[in-house]
Amino acid sequence: MPLYLYVLRRLIVMIPMLIGITLVSFIIGHAVPADPIAANLSQRAMSDPTVVAAFKAEWGLDQPVPVQYLVYVSNLVQGNLGRSIRSRRPVLDDLKAYLPATFELATTATVIGVAAGLVLGVLSAVFRNSWLDYIARFVSLIGISSPVFWLALIALLVFYVRLRWLPGLGRLDSTIPAPPTVTGLFTVDSLLVGDWRAFSNAFRHLILPSMVLASYSMGLITRITRASMLESLTQDYVRTARSKGLRELVVLRRHALRNALIPVITVIGLSYGNLLSGAVLTETIFAWPGIGRYAFQASSTLDFPAIMGVSILIAFIFIVVNLMVDVLYHIVDPRLRTR
Amino acid sequence: MRLQRFLTCLLVLVLALAGVSSHRAVAADAKTLVIGTAENVTSLDPARGYEQETSTVHKAVYDTLVTFPAGSVDKIIPNLATSWKVSDDGLTYTFTLKDGVVFSTGNPLTSADVVFSFNRMKNIKSNPSSLAAGIDSVSAPDPKTVVVKLKAPDPSILAVLIFTSFAVMDSKAVKEHGGTDAADADKTDKAEQWLNQNSVGTGPYILTKWEQHNQIVLVKNPKYGGPAPAFDQVILRDIKEAASQKAALEAGDIDIALDLSADQSASIKSNPDLKLYEGPSAFVFFLLMNRDPKIGGPVSDPLVEKAIRLALDYDGILKLAGGAAVQPPSVIPVGFAGTLGQDKVLKRDLGAAKKLLADAKQDKGFSVDMEYWDTTYAGVNFSTMAQKIQADLKEIGITVNLKPGTLDVTLPNYRDGKEQMGMWFWGPDFIDALNYVEFLPDYKVGKRANWTNANSDKEIQDWRDAVKVEVDAAKRADLFGKIQLYLQDKGPWAPFLQPGVQVGYRADLKGMAYNPIWLIDPATFSR
Repeated sequence: MPLYLYVLRRLIVMIPMLIGITLVSFIIGHAVPADPIAANLSQRAMSDPTVVAAFKAEWGLDQPVPVQYLVYVSNLVQGNLGRSIRSRRPVLDDLKAYLPATFELATTATVIGVAAGLVLGVLSAVFRNSWLDYIARFVSLIGISSPVFWLALIALLVFYVRLRWLPGLGRLDSTIPAPPTVTGLFTVDSLLVGDWRAFSNAFRHLILPSMVLASYSMGLITRITRASMLESLTQDYVRTARSKGLRELVVLRRHALRNALIPVITVIGLSYGNLLSGAVLTETIFAWPGIGRYAFQASSTLDFPAIMGVSILIAFIFIVVNLMVDVLYHIVDPRLRTR
Repeated sequence: MRLQRFLTCLLVLVLALAGVSSHRAVAADAKTLVIGTAENVTSLDPARGYEQETSTVHKAVYDTLVTFPAGSVDKIIPNLATSWKVSDDGLTYTFTLKDGVVFSTGNPLTSADVVFSFNRMKNIKSNPSSLAAGIDSVSAPDPKTVVVKLKAPDPSILAVLIFTSFAVMDSKAVKEHGGTDAADADKTDKAEQWLNQNSVGTGPYILTKWEQHNQIVLVKNPKYGGPAPAFDQVILRDIKEAASQKAALEAGDIDIALDLSADQSASIKSNPDLKLYEGPSAFVFFLLMNRDPKIGGPVSDPLVEKAIRLALDYDGILKLAGGAAVQPPSVIPVGFAGTLGQDKVLKRDLGAAKKLLADAKQDKGFSVDMEYWDTTYAGVNFSTMAQKIQADLKEIGITVNLKPGTLDVTLPNYRDGKEQMGMWFWGPDFIDALNYVEFLPDYKVGKRANWTNANSDKEIQDWRDAVKVEVDAAKRADLFGKIQLYLQDKGPWAPFLQPGVQVGYRADLKGMAYNPIWLIDPATFSR
């Protein structure tokens, strides 16, 4: 089927999927044996029936549960995601505030992870069993197996507290005002208005958390790339290319690597989608105001509108990223194009 | 191809230049005080916000009628009210306001502003409004006088009025932005969003910005009538992780770290650039023993209850908690006016405990179920404490079966008086010993142990009724003393721990003073 029809079909299927996600989140959120009233009101306020009644009325908790769901969905189709109980402002505003931070972090981390992972993986495969290979595999193992919060704390301690090479927490120093919001990405927005100081500061704040986050994807991509490259290097067409007299670099790049990339693209897509849904631990340690932290806080305070909002957002992100990966297959893999 | 390569090099160069230049400490800005805290603010509207950080901000930007002196909570001093009179029946409090006080907006303070603020807080019916439950009405007979009428005598009302939710706001400014103190304010008031970003108080600072989950920014109030604070600007930065706060404090990016844990204390103390404030928090952890024989079984016997109190290894518990933890002599925390001194705390006495068990015909030992919320609160891990208590009570032959649970399961059992034995804590709603009358027979917490008028002595009931209306400070202290000694002897409670708090700050800061409501007052600091 032509590509555009395929994409269209996927986008149409996305809508019932998202509604299904809301139903699942709603059921799970209400099945959890915890009380949003206990999570949001003080002990003293909980024993005052006026306060409890006012709280329930404000958040629609006095309605029967199926009615609450229907109210939510009917608001949703009008584009209203409700108000967060914790932040007391529209969930959409919350998401708009926190998603760009996570996007900036996840994208930078993925770029670093992919660049480092691809290079290490290819080198590792080409110079198999050499010292380079061993080092690459060792580094990737550390990246995959180190707990990210430990890595984050060590990075903070070494590069921030002791060496003072990099700033530690947050997206920007307190003394530097944030650039006017266009995309919400501080690096891009500051470049757009030519604020060099803000760009430099935002970029430097980005380095440490993205490198920490990239460790896992780098490790993963290194290993997948290595395995995939090794397999494609043993294929007949590589032997043919070499016997044609092509330079080794051309053989590697145009023949071996291109074919090795299919599984790697899958992994990159999954890893990117995962990072976009928010890295709670890294965001908490680096005081990075992103979706991960928001989602964690929403679930621990049983903030239903926020939980639903975040679930929909994350589902949407995954669906879009997976769609992009599938489209990329079509473009990269000629075998899929002729169908 | 050449263009591609050129662009790549350019990008790398740009990024490299952005990366160069070593990082200088932000807090070296001498005029700004940066406080690191795990942001838990839901609202900066005094009628809605009820969290600790909210109180820190409100202490800096608003004033209340009365307050505590810096660093102590055992006496009440004038603030916006210079003096007050109590009627003989204890129902009417008449406050005289200070002359010449002006809001940050420029409008003068009058009693109408006090009436508006209090009524608005009550009628919005949010978290703090239950503090105003005992107030029948607030009125302003003249611009300098505020009359507060209570529904029943309440000697703790002055301590209640210190709570930052009773902040006095400029009524004109609040009304201009959609605020109202009408009876249906919970539905009609629209000022919250504006109050989240602005303040209209009489305090030394003004709220200028709240970037959620990033920072709250306060600037000096030029119209403040008192001594100008040393710092022009105060920033409260959201740093949720204690380890990150410590890193930022060591690096000098923040001046004060509010959420350190006890096990970080040692390394802060050994750092010459930092200082550590340690002191008792206002939380008291205690065991509840059910007085109803059908539920409590063996522990419903007062002799057994006393044996349990004498069997706890208080020194070991303090060591386990670490930091500045103290042993409270009763459920009333150390530091409150009227608390017994440390010379009166119970000491472990296994011999006496065993003898009491024998007197109660329980010397063969018995087993008991102890329920508790499986969590860590105020730096105390409940599971660890529960195991310690289990080990302590084993030494007098009592087998404790640990029954941890989530809050939604254990809380109803506790509130409905269904626990045989429970481990809980109490955080005061206001800083006055009267809050703890709830632990006496037929009152809120007393009922959770099924301790009622029917199964308690007339003595404790009389003291309870007397202390509810007694306004004289000396007589109150005397009554509370008697009550505490009684609880040590015959109550269904075994208070065992008052955890400590620790605040780390840069060594060149002066003026550190702790308060259980607002933690620190930014205006007291200087460099």
